[in-house]
Amino acid sequence: MSLDIGATGDFPERQIRVIDVGRGQVGIVRWDADLYAVGNSCPHQGGPLCRGVLSGRIEAAEPGSLSLDSSTPLLACPWHGWEFDLRTGQAILDTKTRVRTFPVWEDDGRVLLEIGKAQPPTRSGSRQVTMGYDDANACFLMKGGA
Amino acid sequence: MYSGPVIDCDVHHARRSDEELLPYLSRGWREYVSDRGPAGMIPLTVQDGLPNPHGFMRAETYPEGGGEPGSDYGTLRRQLLDRADVRRVILTFGDDSHVSGHHNPYFATELARALNDWTVDRWLSQDRRIASSILVASQLPEQAAAEIRRHAANPRMVQVMLVDNPFNYGFGHPVFHPIYQAAEETGRPIAIHGGAGGWANPPSTGGGSVNLYFEAHTLWPQVAMTHLVSFISHGVFDKFPKLRLLLIEAGSAWLPSLLWRFDAEYKGLRREVPWLRRLPSEYVAEHVWLTTQPLEQSPKREQIVELLSWMNGAERLVYSSDYPHWDADEINHVAARLPQSWHRKIFFETAMQFYGWSEVDLPAAMTAAA
Repeated sequence: MSLDIGATGDFPERQIRVIDVGRGQVGIVRWDADLYAVGNSCPHQGGPLCRGVLSGRIEAAEPGSLSLDSSTPLLACPWHGWEFDLRTGQAILDTKTRVRTFPVWEDDGRVLLEIGKAQPPTRSGSRQVTMGYDDANACFLMKGGA
Repeated sequence: MYSGPVIDCDVHHARRSDEELLPYLSRGWREYVSDRGPAGMIPLTVQDGLPNPHGFMRAETYPEGGGEPGSDYGTLRRQLLDRADVRRVILTFGDDSHVSGHHNPYFATELARALNDWTVDRWLSQDRRIASSILVASQLPEQAAAEIRRHAANPRMVQVMLVDNPFNYGFGHPVFHPIYQAAEETGRPIAIHGGAGGWANPPSTGGGSVNLYFEAHTLWPQVAMTHLVSFISHGVFDKFPKLRLLLIEAGSAWLPSLLWRFDAEYKGLRREVPWLRRLPSEYVAEHVWLTTQPLEQSPKREQIVELLSWMNGAERLVYSSDYPHWDADEINHVAARLPQSWHRKIFFETAMQFYGWSEVDLPAAMTAAA
């Protein structure tokens, strides 16, 4: 199911806009003209991911020589700082953990979000926050926590 | 019980007297330390350590002919080398190990040089089972590096030892890197000994200096934690990918929980250390080893075994006695606390691999004369 979530101009470059979808929320980000959509719940401990810092990827060849890979959009959770690659939803330092992503695209000046084809989140580790997905309401339900 | 071959990675040797070291100082420094008239000699060791109410030495280790414990080869041979199938011991100096606690960096550098030469001359010549650390004065890292390179051709000067901390920075700080460059070049591990950071130079612990030896000794592992975290955070193992680190006399059971925390912190704080290439625990798995002493005294044996299993203890730990110090661990004490299947590795094989030896290099006692 695709939803019309606004006009192209409603999603400015390098900003996060959080959309209420049923009982859940999806963050929409435009980065270098491309659109990305991720669930607003960090798979680490369920933090409000889309209130975190959006940036390129800071790299360093050696201590002190920081550089910025601005082609890689990262979103850092405000709770514990875990960084996620918006292109894949992948936690960049935990290959087993991924935030849910959704197809999002533009058509004739409108931005459309596909909520029925989400890539589900994954979470590694034993202290797992159990996440569920309610297809009918296109939202995330936190069913429990550690 | 364990009766197999042993490599002891922490044996403290000492001088019988100050005069024993004087011939190894340059003429100028010899004059500097000795010509004070009635004031006597300038102290060759750092004086302001915390006193142990029992003394620092096992009572029976004082040589019958006088001198400090660890200063007499015959006593050490009888009490340590010949008491078990000891194939090699690594000398780690006694009070002299605190050379980096001297305020005068030039004097410290000269002392380190003299102490290494004295060790080669007076100890390595006595017994093929004896190897030694290279003592460096880290106050002057470039000169410390030169001292390491000076011993490059001597395969029995097997590691570079750091104890006191002259700069109040963790040992991963770039100021120390010339030492690590020389260590890597010459194939020597870095060995950080308990008390690092320090004994004479404050602070002895993070959070503030302690006042009692009881506190300091309890918190010995904290110092090792500081330096281990510093090594990895400052990218030492990326800059020097062949470098290996041995933490001596810091205990070991704390390592699993530190690494759990360290990895978790990295996942949240990567932006501050984007030069790191792997999880901290992965650097440790490739670059870091620990000695057994003092083995933590868990209420039940299985508790320490489980903790050490989390860090692959049989491959990560090497036996150390700490002879002749008061808190030394006996071979059979360690053997009784750890699984039999670990014994040969911890007492012998892991250290042999760490120092790049083979069994052919490690003769049994009957053939060990120098």
